[in-house]
Amino acid sequence: MATSETLSANASVPSRSEPDRSDVRSLTSLRRGLWLFVLAAAAGAVAMTLANDGLEGLETPYGLRFLIGLAFAGSGLYAWARRPENRLGPLMTAVGCIYLLAQILSQAHASTLFTAGIWISDAWVVVFVAFLLAFPDGRINARFDLVVIGMFALMAFPLELAWLLFWTTGGSPENALAVWPNPALADNVDSAQRALVMFASVVLAITLARRWLLASPPLRRALVPILVGSVGILLSSVLLGLDKFQIEFPTARWAVLVAYIAIPLVVLGGILRSRLARSTVGDLFVELRADPSPTELREALARTLRDPSLSLAYWLPQFRSWSDLDGRPVELPAEGGDRAATMIDRKGELVAALVHDPALVGEPELLDAVSAAAGIAIENGRLHVELRARLEELRGSRSRIIEAGQKERQRLERNLHDGAQQRLIALSLELSLLEQELGPHADAGLRLAQARREIATSLGELREVARGIHPAVVSGHGLAVALEQLTARAPVPVRLTVAIEERLPEQVEVAAYYLVSESLANVTKHSGASSVSVGVSRANDQAVIEVMDDGVGGADTERGTGLRGLADRVEALGGRLRVWSPNGGGTRVRAEIPCAS
Amino acid sequence: MRVVIAEDSVLLREGLTQLLEKNGLEVAGSCEDADDLLLKVRSYSPDVAIVDVRLPPTHNDEGLRAALEIRARHPDVGVLVLSQYVEVGLAMRLLADSAEGAGYLLKDRISDVEEFVSAVRRVADGGSAIDPTIVSTLLSRQRDDDPLAALTPREHEVLELMAEGRSNQGIADKLVLSVRAVEKYVSSIFGKLGLPSSGGDSRRVLAVLLYLRS
Repeated sequence: MATSETLSANASVPSRSEPDRSDVRSLTSLRRGLWLFVLAAAAGAVAMTLANDGLEGLETPYGLRFLIGLAFAGSGLYAWARRPENRLGPLMTAVGCIYLLAQILSQAHASTLFTAGIWISDAWVVVFVAFLLAFPDGRINARFDLVVIGMFALMAFPLELAWLLFWTTGGSPENALAVWPNPALADNVDSAQRALVMFASVVLAITLARRWLLASPPLRRALVPILVGSVGILLSSVLLGLDKFQIEFPTARWAVLVAYIAIPLVVLGGILRSRLARSTVGDLFVELRADPSPTELREALARTLRDPSLSLAYWLPQFRSWSDLDGRPVELPAEGGDRAATMIDRKGELVAALVHDPALVGEPELLDAVSAAAGIAIENGRLHVELRARLEELRGSRSRIIEAGQKERQRLERNLHDGAQQRLIALSLELSLLEQELGPHADAGLRLAQARREIATSLGELREVARGIHPAVVSGHGLAVALEQLTARAPVPVRLTVAIEERLPEQVEVAAYYLVSESLANVTKHSGASSVSVGVSRANDQAVIEVMDDGVGGADTERGTGLRGLADRVEALGGRLRVWSPNGGGTRVRAEIPCAS
Repeated sequence: MRVVIAEDSVLLREGLTQLLEKNGLEVAGSCEDADDLLLKVRSYSPDVAIVDVRLPPTHNDEGLRAALEIRARHPDVGVLVLSQYVEVGLAMRLLADSAEGAGYLLKDRISDVEEFVSAVRRVADGGSAIDPTIVSTLLSRQRDDDPLAALTPREHEVLELMAEGRSNQGIADKLVLSVRAVEKYVSSIFGKLGLPSSGGDSRRVLAVLLYLRS
């Protein structure tokens, strides 16, 4: 996502190309000079119009044309000063200055000046087209855009020169370039120019309209100037064509005038609005002083940037991934999609990204100011999120380890069940069939019976081993069935209440089974309790398992592996194990394990 | 007497078939999974189905579910569930509301041929066969105030055999007593435990088990 809009919160970041101070100074004085020129030229244009046509001259679109130059040059100079890195400012300034210069020169009496004025009279259009195509980031991205600009340039420079070689005013001031005065030839060149402009205008309008249609809705608002511009150009080229046949539309001329004046003013309005928004950055500072949580920080940023959908993504270098506020991995939006991302660095290191409405790309100062203001808070937020991500990872790996262990135990139990146990039973059956054949009183029969008893004992022992490895009843028939046997065999009276009808996730059931089994063992071994209650219920997508006895209490979770191991198992499932065991006050073990179904 | 068997271990399936046929029972069919079992029960209408509680594909509760389905759909077919673990909870699920024609035995029991064959016959005849381990687990359960303490050792023995599903004759044979004596013990037990002495052998099995479980 490294675009030209990539920002840094800190102005001293070396990656950012910072203009030389002397360059900045000379640019400032250049702009001052241009301001003087623009104002003088505008005043000159008004003066000349007054001198030539009197006050009525100012009431026609022709007389007011200097306003186009003034609007472009003024807005351009302002934009240039505000966003020196964006070429739109200089482009607009050039449009205005060339426009005004041509206006002044073409009214000059000296024939060289007059001729120069005529020659550059259409040059502003070329720059204007470049401006439209470069909107809003100030860069020409498509090769085809250069072709479009080239068509206008062809009309404005070589063809205009060719025309000037044949064209004669027939009076004063004379065309200084009229080498072979030939009105017919001049007229032909003129027709070619107009045809070319009309063709190029249509191509331009299609290009811009397509760009506008492809833009996301919020971006479309920002692209209004190019829409107005393409309408203006199209309209003027049509007027130019009709003018050839002496057809005039005064209203349309007014419309073109208004459109051309409106474009720079809309751009100016956008810049002023984002200046206004920057003043709310002050409020952001105040909010951030209260050390906001990551959620509050996001909300504060969303308010300041006027983008409720804004989200923050933190860069976690050790995971090499982006993370949301909860430490879960996220992807940044792709370039040119309906979301845009702005990077935030601190001390030269990537910290976070704001994922926002692409329209905000047009307000780089605001994004810059917000990123700078929120820098420390964002860095704190990232540490927070990093911690969460580590915990999440740890929990994940712990639960994977336990799950793998459980799978392995399950497999072992299955092997025992399907292998040794079945074979022993079959063997025992075989012996007893033999016994039957030998008859009731044979000596060998008695020995066979003895062997069968041995096998029965082995089977009993194997059964206990298998049960210790994995409680197959839990997987097969659920917690309620398994707990019934467990509590029935306990050496103290146990009251069992299972308030869950449905099956829980196997991991949760097995953990609950071990919890009850271990707790009952502890009760027998240490507590001296005379009764125990075991409860399993469900509350808010959590399985709650509780074992309470009336024994001596004083159980220690840290000593011995029993309770600690249970806590590990429960925590690995994202749950929590708590033990209350006051001396002489019985012991209460309570586990809450999430089991969203 | 016709039997069908569902057991996924070939060794045991063959062994069981051999055992039953040697002892005068007809094995109408044997299979290794629950679907096949249900099909065989439908087509052969056996007197009893012997079902391993762990059947393919998952070896979880397919066997028990098949057993419950046979109990629900074919009440005249006895169901004897075999398992390598005996669980009070499982026994209670299988019996649910009747112990008639139901049995639940540890798989090891098949090697005690005489006892096993008699259990199969009992279940086929509509009686019950509950594994002694289950009964002893329930009997030895710790209680706050234990009414079983009031029973004499002999009454204790009779209660245990009664809960396994044996008839008075069966109990008398086992303890070498007269049927008359057994009847006296039974009514004394019911009196001490405050149970209504009602109905046949299977009914009292369920009544006793439910009593012991509560």
